[in-house]
Parts: sequence; structure tokens; C-alpha cells
Amino acid sequence: MSALGTAKTFVADDTAAVATFLGTRPARVRVRSGGSRQLRLPEPGDATVLDLSRLTAIVRLDGPDQTCTVECGLPRADLDAALATCGLELPCPGGGTLGGLFASDPIGASTFGGPSPRSLLLGMDAVLADGTPFKSGARVVKSVAGFDVHKLLVGSEGRLFVATRLHLRLKPAPRCVQWFCRTGLDVAAAIDCLRKLQQEPVPPAAVQLVRAPDGSCAVQGRFAGRAAFVAEMLRRHGLPESAPCWRDHLDPPTHGEVVGGATLVGALPVLSSHLPANASLLWQGGGRFEAALPDAISADAFLHTCANGGVSTLVVHGAPERRGHGTLRDDGHQRLQDGLRRALDPHGILV
Amino acid sequence: MPRLESALVRLLGPQRVLTSPDALLAWECDGFTVHKSRPRAVVLPESTAEVQAVVRLLADAQVPFVPRGAGTCLSGGPTAGTTAVVLDLSRMRRVLRIETADLFAVVEPGVVNADLTAAVKHLGLHYAPDPSSQTVCTIGGNFAENSGGPHCFKYGMTQDHVLAALVVLPDGSLARLGSPAGSRLPGSVDLTALFCGSEGTFGIATEITVRLCRDQESVRTLLASFATMTAACRTVGDIVAAGLVPAALEILDQATIRAVEASVYRAGYPADAAAVLLVELDGPTAVVGEEAAEVRAAFARNGALRIEEATDPNERKRLWKGRKGAFGAMGRLNTDLYVLDGVVPRTRLEEALAGITAIGAKHGVLMTNVFHAGDGNLHPNISYDGRDAAATARTIAAGHEILQLCVDLGGSISGEHGIGTEKLDHVRMMYDAADLAVMAKVRAVWNPDDRCNPGKALPSRSACAESAKWPAMTARILRDEVRP
Repeated sequence: MSALGTAKTFVADDTAAVATFLGTRPARVRVRSGGSRQLRLPEPGDATVLDLSRLTAIVRLDGPDQTCTVECGLPRADLDAALATCGLELPCPGGGTLGGLFASDPIGASTFGGPSPRSLLLGMDAVLADGTPFKSGARVVKSVAGFDVHKLLVGSEGRLFVATRLHLRLKPAPRCVQWFCRTGLDVAAAIDCLRKLQQEPVPPAAVQLVRAPDGSCAVQGRFAGRAAFVAEMLRRHGLPESAPCWRDHLDPPTHGEVVGGATLVGALPVLSSHLPANASLLWQGGGRFEAALPDAISADAFLHTCANGGVSTLVVHGAPERRGHGTLRDDGHQRLQDGLRRALDPHGILV
Repeated sequence: MPRLESALVRLLGPQRVLTSPDALLAWECDGFTVHKSRPRAVVLPESTAEVQAVVRLLADAQVPFVPRGAGTCLSGGPTAGTTAVVLDLSRMRRVLRIETADLFAVVEPGVVNADLTAAVKHLGLHYAPDPSSQTVCTIGGNFAENSGGPHCFKYGMTQDHVLAALVVLPDGSLARLGSPAGSRLPGSVDLTALFCGSEGTFGIATEITVRLCRDQESVRTLLASFATMTAACRTVGDIVAAGLVPAALEILDQATIRAVEASVYRAGYPADAAAVLLVELDGPTAVVGEEAAEVRAAFARNGALRIEEATDPNERKRLWKGRKGAFGAMGRLNTDLYVLDGVVPRTRLEEALAGITAIGAKHGVLMTNVFHAGDGNLHPNISYDGRDAAATARTIAAGHEILQLCVDLGGSISGEHGIGTEKLDHVRMMYDAADLAVMAKVRAVWNPDDRCNPGKALPSRSACAESAKWPAMTARILRDEVRP
């Protein structure tokens, strides 16, 4: 059982409460909103849980301006329901709460060059580990005033500061959406299919490659837009219509590990060739992938191979002490990232 | 010759180190001509290794430096104080790699924006961000400023198109941010996004990996004229409310139309119209056809006086000519032009424009408006005589009030031009001390002694002496005391 299940918890009702709590200088704090991704993070040890799940307000929804402000504990599904009433959507994949989605950004974009959480985050209200509230960015769709500190939320896993409110860019909901799923492909055929979709001036709104442990592949996703366009794309690429079939993540193997990384379509043949025969692979159209490996030894071998190929990977699901292990980063990048952590949370409170 | 200059000459040769006052004249300002200052020297490196070597020399000597592309910035970003050395990156203009299958290119910072598109045009590709200065401005400058342009509403800003960068940090070390597979690597935060828009204060990008886009099958460009600005703005609202995402939604007001029509940029816009709205749609032919019909219907509902549609590439070029030449046309109106860059929620455009008109009248300045209506990104332009101190002061005072208006309406003091030196006094309209302290902490991680483009982007107390004067100088201008 995760330590989160038995940890001390502080439940915040608003930004002021978050600031007050952090102002008491707790030794170690783990931020949690919905909690759905906690098992993908390193074990928090004896940290106090700062629970944001009551921060569920849609503070502002400006339909005509296609922006909104939400609290970080708001479930994605609740926002989607509200947006549907005014013909809008948040065009990036991922569930859970909005805070968790942006802080973890586990999927990136769902299609080639498509919007990801980072491109939809216009600004935020947040609190430093020492309890100081601050804001970054703006509510409008364009602003280059000041440094984009809010972009640091994406992927920070709550370890640089605690975001409490997000200003988000929205897009019009498409008039027609049709899912597709082409199954029974070998890796080469699946990659060829992706290649052709990638070269479309208007690519699918979402696309992913799924390789099953038996080696068979599927290319699935959805086209969005006007009905005639969607129909033409499906016809042109021979893509069978299907029910919604998107997968955010691979199921973790019972005794194995899930490794995450990012790579281009062009590197998929090599990546795939380095996977054990019984491993599964999920590649998202934005470049992120997950590979489910049967044990830690094969995971380590895969991490090593990826590192040799210049592909950054890490264990995203496995034993607590293994999570986060294996990332290959540029030294300069790592130095900057460590420096940011020291600058914003000098006592290492947020874990 | 002082020791530092001698060392720079040994490194780059005498042709690539400029120190004479006459030679430095071209680097005394960017497109924001209110603040001028000649740097100590200008160096012209041609490779990452040379940039590193220069930066290390400057670090050893504790001399501030300023990276610069083409100098088209409109906020004073690359204008250097007199103790600073400018690293002019315009000789680093190679396109290093083009990947047609994975749709990206790696370029040096001095590559001109439009040249990148020209380099990939034969492949059916283009680089989407296209600031109005795209035939001159560089990708490095665009990256530093997070530049926008008329196509942001659909295609986003520079930040949405940069995947990775190789950066020389102010101590001369290197950092590689992002990768062609995405600007954020798993297990890390998005330093590429953070760097983009840092206005040259975090380091110098010497290789930039950008996304390339496939050319669309069809492009349709429409222009409608209106009897009132209100009708033009409401048409924009109708188009957006219908769920359309045009590639461009640009409005020019009557004063701009008249300036354009009296200039070499004449495009045949109706000079009696209060506003013209330029709409560009792109995508699959059938889709664009349906969308064009909906746009025409929105024009009609809002009482458009005249509707034109380009029927061939030359016609399209003509319709754009007036918009792209608008800033040049304003050169006819007076000796100097102050281009503002505020943003408001799109739904408050009418209110903002009414307020801007009132502010212009209050200060007795000649105001024209051309703007990215889809983004709510306003460019009120004040034509003035920079030789007239009183006129300059009135101009800057009007600008200050306009930016305050944008903030009061829920917007921003800059949509795409940046803070530079121009808006150092305005940053506090949006951010309080705690917000700025966090930004300063972030900058200090990259640029701990504030030698890299000192005094820009954030109000700073530790900038080099000349830069530090600028905010105060702006305040004095606002008090009608002085012209820099």
C-alpha cells in the first residue's frame, strides 16, 4: 500500500488555505488533487499530503472568448461537461483532475504537432513552498509579459510550487468526430500508416499505435472536423470506423514495469526492435510512449538501449524505489532543472 | 585597444569585432526608437563554439552582453547599455537540418523567418509563425521574444512551434532543451517553453529545432469593409462563435486604411470605410468552401459595405498588401511611430477601441489601429515627431494609459512584442512584488549575475547602470521632464 494511504493529510478549501498551511513550514509535503497518478510518482515517505480535491470550482468560463479559469481539484470530466454546453472543448488528452493533468502531463499531445497541456495553459495562481502566493501568465490567449513561470507547472509533479488555479485556452468542439481503429498490423505496416497520417495537412485529432504482447499492432484515434472531411480521411487511409478506443496508459504488468519516453515516428522501428517479444507498447501521436516490460531486468535493458540511442526514458510504474529511475538528460538541462527546484523550494519541502 | 576588445579580436578577427562609434550606430536601438544607446562593442560570431568562447571571455571580465538577431524587436529588447557587448547572431544563418518525414528543421538563430519557409517551400512545407517583419526578423529573435503574427489565432505563437534548442548559458556552458520529439522530455519540466519569450535574458540559443507544417490544400482570403468599427468587431465575434478557426482575422481602422491607400502599399481598400476585416481560411478545399460561405453570411449579417475575395494568388497578395504594409504606410504620417501591443479578451475589443480613441483624443496624439482581432491583440500606433519632446511625452503617456486600459479589461500589456525596456514601468500593472520576485528567482537560475541582457523584461535593481536608468527615465518622460 502506498504511504499516501496512511499519511497525514491537510485538506485545503482555497488558495489562502494552501498558503496558510505551507506557511506553517511543514517538513515535507506531497501535493495531491484526485490522486489518480500518485502511483506513478516516487514514494513520498512521511510527507504530509496537501489535498486539493476540494478546489473544484470553475471560477470563470468565458465561452465567447474561449478561455476559462478553474481550480486545480476540478475533475476533467466536470469541466468537459460544462464546456459541452457551450460548444467548447479542452483539446488535450488525459483525465483525473485538471491540476493533476497539468502537473503530470503524462501523455503530452495526442497527435502530430497537436495541442498538449503546455500549449493550453495561459496562466495560473500558485503558492511557493514557503507559503508565498504568486501568479504567472494571464487570462487572455496571448501574453508575453514576464517569464512563463506557469509553463514550469507542466511535468513538475507538484514539486516546484503548488498551483491552485489555472487559466486555460479552449477550442471550439468539432462538428463531427469519428473514431477509427485499424487492427492486425505488423509494426512496419502500422508505422507506414502513421507516416501517411502524419503527412496530412490536417492530421487526425488523436492517433496512437498500440503493440500488443503478441506483436500485433493497431493504429487508432479519431478525425474531427466537418463531416465530409472526416469521411474523406477515413476513406483515403482505409481506416475502419470504431467506437471510442483511446488509451491514456498501458496497464502495468503484474510483476513488471512501465517505462515512459518520447520519440519520433522515424525512430519507432528501432525502438520497437529493442523491445522483448512479450512487451507491449503504446505510442501517442505527440511522441510520448510507454512500454510495459515483464520484469525489472528487461526494463533496465530497454532503458540502457534507449539511452544509447539518445532517447530519454524512465520508469513510470514499478516498485516505489524504481519509479523515476533511468532518465537520460542533458547535463545542462539537469543543472537548470535542479537549480529551479532549489530556487523555488530551497528546503525541498515539496516531494 | 582595451584588453577585452583585444581578446575579442584575437578570437574573431578585426572584421567581426566592431568598436568605433560610427560602426556602432546601427546597433543603438531596435524598432523601439525611443530608447537609444550605443554598446561598448559588437561581435559577430559564426558558430556555437565562437559564441561560447565570447561568452566565456565576457564572463571572465564580468562584462554584460546582449544577444541580438535582426533588431526588429519593438520593445527595446536587444538595445544594449554602453558597458555591454552585443553578440549579433545574424551571421549564424544556416539551416542545419530539414526532416520532411518527421516534420522539423534545425536552424541557427540568424536564419530569417521567411527564409526558412522559402527553404522548405518546394517540399510543400512551411514554418507557421510569421510576424509582420518575417522577411527580416530571425528565428533566434522570434524564439527569444515568443513572437506572434497574424496567424496565431489558428497556429499559435513561436512557443507552440519550437521543439528544442541548444543554448549557451551566461557562464559559457551549454544546455540542450527539449528534443525533436517534444519540447518537454519525460521526467522533466518544459525549459524550452520557459526559455521562449525570456527576451534574451536566459542565454543564447545557437541551434533551434522548429516544427514544420504541411501546406494546406486551399487558402481563401476575404476582405469586408464596414461603416463602423463595432460592426467589424461583432463580425469577428460571430465568426468565432460559429466555431470557425480562421488562419487570420485582421482589422484595420479608417486612419490606417487612409494611410495605406495614400502610400506605396495601396491595396484598393475602401477609404470611406470605418474598418476593414481581413479573413483568411485554409484547409481542405471542401471545408474551406463551407467556411467561406459562413464567413460571408457573418459579413452580411453585420452589414458589410463591400465584400471582396481573392480569386488568385496575386489578388490574395493585394488584399494582404495593405495589412502587411500598414506599419510602413504610417511612415507618411510623421517622423516616428510608437507601436503598442496590448491584449484584451476578444469580447472586449469594442470597449477597448473606444477607450483607446478617448485616450488619443485626451493626449492630442494621432492614433491608428491595426490589430489581430481573433486574439484580441491590439496594435494602437501613435505617429509623432520624436524631435519634439512634448509630443514624445504625450505619446508615451498615452501609451501608458492604453496599456493600463488593457489590463483593466482583463488583458495583458504585451501580446507579442515583449517587455524589453519599453514596458519595464508597466509590468507592475499585471504583477505584484511576489510575482516579480518569483520571476527574478527563475531568471537567476539561468543568469545569476544578470549580465545576460541586463535590465530587460523585469524591473531590475541590479542591471548595468545604463539599463537601470531606463525605467526611471520612462517615469520622468511621463512627468514631461525629459526625453532620453
